[in-house]
Amino acid sequence: MPNHWFWWALTVACVVWYSTITVYVAIKGAKDIKNMLARLDATRKKEAEEQ
Amino acid sequence: MTNFNWLLDGSIVGLYLLVTMVAGLMVRKYVGKVEHFLVAGREMDVYLGIASLAATEFGIVTCMYTAQNGYEKGFAGATPGILMAVAMAGVGLTGFVIKPLRDSGVITIPELLEQKFGKRIRWAAGVVIVLGGLLNMGVFLRTGGQFLVLVAGLNVRYLEIMMTALLVGVAVYTILGGMLSVLVTDFLQFVVMSVGLILVTILILVNVGWEKLVTTVETQYGAGGFNPFVNPTMGWQYVLFNLMLNTAAVLTWQTIIARVLAAKDTQTGRRVYTGTAFFFVCRFLIPGIWGIAALATLGPVANTLEAMPTYLSTAVPAGLMGILVAAMLAADMSTDSSYMLTWCSVIYNDILAPFRKRPWSERKGLFWNRTIIALIGIFLLLYGLWYPLKGDLWTYLGVTGTIYLASISVLLIACCYWRKANSWGAGAAILVSAAIPVTYLVMEQLPSTGALAKSIGPYYSGIATYILSGAAMVIGSLLKPQSHVEGRTA
Repeated sequence: MPNHWFWWALTVACVVWYSTITVYVAIKGAKDIKNMLARLDATRKKEAEEQ
Repeated sequence: MTNFNWLLDGSIVGLYLLVTMVAGLMVRKYVGKVEHFLVAGREMDVYLGIASLAATEFGIVTCMYTAQNGYEKGFAGATPGILMAVAMAGVGLTGFVIKPLRDSGVITIPELLEQKFGKRIRWAAGVVIVLGGLLNMGVFLRTGGQFLVLVAGLNVRYLEIMMTALLVGVAVYTILGGMLSVLVTDFLQFVVMSVGLILVTILILVNVGWEKLVTTVETQYGAGGFNPFVNPTMGWQYVLFNLMLNTAAVLTWQTIIARVLAAKDTQTGRRVYTGTAFFFVCRFLIPGIWGIAALATLGPVANTLEAMPTYLSTAVPAGLMGILVAAMLAADMSTDSSYMLTWCSVIYNDILAPFRKRPWSERKGLFWNRTIIALIGIFLLLYGLWYPLKGDLWTYLGVTGTIYLASISVLLIACCYWRKANSWGAGAAILVSAAIPVTYLVMEQLPSTGALAKSIGPYYSGIATYILSGAAMVIGSLLKPQSHVEGRTA
């Protein structure tokens, strides 16, 4: 175990967690944007029809 | 001398800027109402929220002050990040404050405060939030410009031009697309920023090595470089102040809360908090390691804020340098856009509220929101050039942020959970928590009181602000027994 294991473990956790979450959020976040814009578009069309 | 290659790295940066601007401008067609502009029609889902919150809360200024913390305090400098992660996870898991806040369906925090404390407190809270927020944001541009000038090896005379160009670019898509543009660009910026941060950190760990980083901290700071309680520049007062500051920020910092308010429901808002919590450890530790690497490589330097970018300018090879600069631009642009939009939302929704006797049309509302963002941009340019920063950056941000964090966190907790809280207590809390940090900042600047301010220090001043603000709420509320209910509780 390296010196100052707490900071070593935290550093490793940061690099591993951040790498993983970046890929995961990149994929899922893109889907969120697509769905969000689709919902807004549907609302916009509905409101336009009502007017 | 720098490794920045204008052809290779400049192309990477140019491509990033082009894609971001196009994406930011493309979504403007979805903005038809003020609600779309300020809270994205409350359609934000979890992962977009995580990306947006992480990107917003990491700017170049963050990278600079956390690296400065690493350089000056060693690993112990990452303590505020750990405290913030704990606070954010706790709030996300329990729903403390954010649940009643999101359930109420408001656009800003002062709007909720009005329901308990009345219109005057809403207005005063809006002023305090904007005052604290804009003072805080005032140093973002110059610090960001400093980083880019140093890393890219530009002449320092171009700093103001770079600051202006950066802000104009961000303002254009924020003015046109509001929160929708902010969310979409935040997402792109999160990906670019994260790739740059991870790659540079791995490069540093491989090239400098863990043992050298640890040995440098041991040599320079001893045990205090690893333990904040035994560090002579930190101590219990630093830890306590940062615990209070970060908990208050998690509960009330409008740019963070904006993600809860834009979430499609309360559960989504809470999941954004728990999902982003550990990012706040990375937010302090990763640039902190960059700062320690600068200390290990450069040794003692006169300007500790500039140590990290000076080190990176030669340590990062061409190609990766382009990704680093794009990452830092991404970090800065996402922060600037979100912050401008956030303070705009409070100015429009709360400070201008008394001037809207009758509801404004959506068209007029959008016009004023866009105008306010443009005016905030102009203020930032002027203030960013004027303010001579004294002391370390994190402390300045902490002191200016405390102006509103202390009062608004007390008001919000009391609003949600204390039945006897009333407008007297709220007014007293606002006055106390604005007066102490402003007095401290003024004392720090004046030659006659500078020494006294230094002897008190920012941490005791900050702790006193939070405690006295809470005491003011209790005493003020109890002094005015309510004969009737001022408003409904959240």
